[in-house]
Amino acid sequence: MDFSQSNKDLWKEIYNTKDLLHCFNCSTCISGCPASNGEPPLLVRNLARMVVYGLEDELYDEDTPWACVSCSRCEEMCPMDVKPFELILAIRKWQSTNDETRVPPSIVEIYTRGYTQAVGMNVELRKSLGLPELKTITNMPEQMKLYQEMLMKTPVVKENDYMFKEE
Amino acid sequence: MKLCLFLGCNTPAIRPDVEQAIRLTMPELGVQLLDTEGYVCCPAFGSFPSTDDESWLASSGWNLSIAEAKGLDIMVECGSCYSSLRMGRDHLVHDKKKLARINELLELTGRKLKCKTKVHHVSKILYKDVGTEKISKAIKKNLKGVHGVIQYPCHTLFPSEVVGFEDSPREPKALRQLTEALGATVDTYSHELSCCGGAGGFTNNSPNEATEFAKAKLDAIIDETKAEFIVVSCITCLMHLDNIQKKLNETENTDKYNIPVFDYNQLLALCMGFDAKQVASISSISKDSIINKLK
Repeated sequence: MDFSQSNKDLWKEIYNTKDLLHCFNCSTCISGCPASNGEPPLLVRNLARMVVYGLEDELYDEDTPWACVSCSRCEEMCPMDVKPFELILAIRKWQSTNDETRVPPSIVEIYTRGYTQAVGMNVELRKSLGLPELKTITNMPEQMKLYQEMLMKTPVVKENDYMFKEE
Repeated sequence: MKLCLFLGCNTPAIRPDVEQAIRLTMPELGVQLLDTEGYVCCPAFGSFPSTDDESWLASSGWNLSIAEAKGLDIMVECGSCYSSLRMGRDHLVHDKKKLARINELLELTGRKLKCKTKVHHVSKILYKDVGTEKISKAIKKNLKGVHGVIQYPCHTLFPSEVVGFEDSPREPKALRQLTEALGATVDTYSHELSCCGGAGGFTNNSPNEATEFAKAKLDAIIDETKAEFIVVSCITCLMHLDNIQKKLNETENTDKYNIPVFDYNQLLALCMGFDAKQVASISSISKDSIINKLK
């Protein structure tokens, strides 16, 4: 592998904690990881190496961080306290900051209606179970507006504001 | 005790019978639940926590502030909501800079966050605050002679220093003892502590491998135990282990996978005598075999 083009400071940009440098590739983070069975497999230890070695281009194209199920087993078991789940989130953040095609559509749903699911829209089903009507943010337009105004000040929404414009 | 109920999205939208089971059972055990009006997505790990800290923590802060204004802690069933809210809160409690920035954002909405509100999982409230003795006394029917197994929600176990409440996260006991309090016999199996595999991108990116992963767990339950039901306490585990059995029966042309999956509060509600139509009516694999066994 050619390391001449690698970005030696990449780890500082993505996950600025010395704990990452303590990773000795033991693979505990893979044992028990559901997504390590995926195709392609999520191999957290390899991602840690890519970040440490500064393999920017390879990491930019890696889809596997998005297969993580967030069970956080790796976070519990890592003997070097690398906090692999935090690393996964950090790589996703780096990718979606540098590549707008990585920005998950779910954040537009949350911005638009507060949730990723149609919460509170199943009125008849809820009524048939004897459930009360929900005070969702969708039913509270003033609160919804405040929440959106707040999000508009955060980096991901500010930088990609075209995604959030009302049609 | 009084708590704010944080419903998340899957429970009220897709499995509202679980919501009703929680709403009906908790007050009977002395836990009064108030709605978290105007709450937003927890936010799910695949959303804002994967883009930037500000949008993640501003959303956590928004939700926490609703309960804080009432002077109450939050109770959650969904594992992902629980973990996202706990981790979000943990960031804010331990990083004064982040908290100050989030308060700048929240101020725009007329809110202020002191991080006084804590976040609890429903199984923790049942196990540690209510207690199994009180539960045994509160039920009218029981599951004596019926075998079941537990699927522990990962998000309530790991990382234990942020989300944990078990004495040992590697040897969790809460759901087992809560289920035994209903009279059932809880069997152990080799894949007991493995994840259900239902959350995040795994099931979307690798549907075949994710199905195989869940199948290994279900096969272990079938081969190694006498279980007639599975108990979970996370909406993702519930939907995944229930729906995947239907899928497996169809793709493998079998009827082998027919173990009903219950959220713990659904079993509790049935044992308390609540109407199954209200608290345990939505499923891929029918729950009738267990409902009819309650004595």
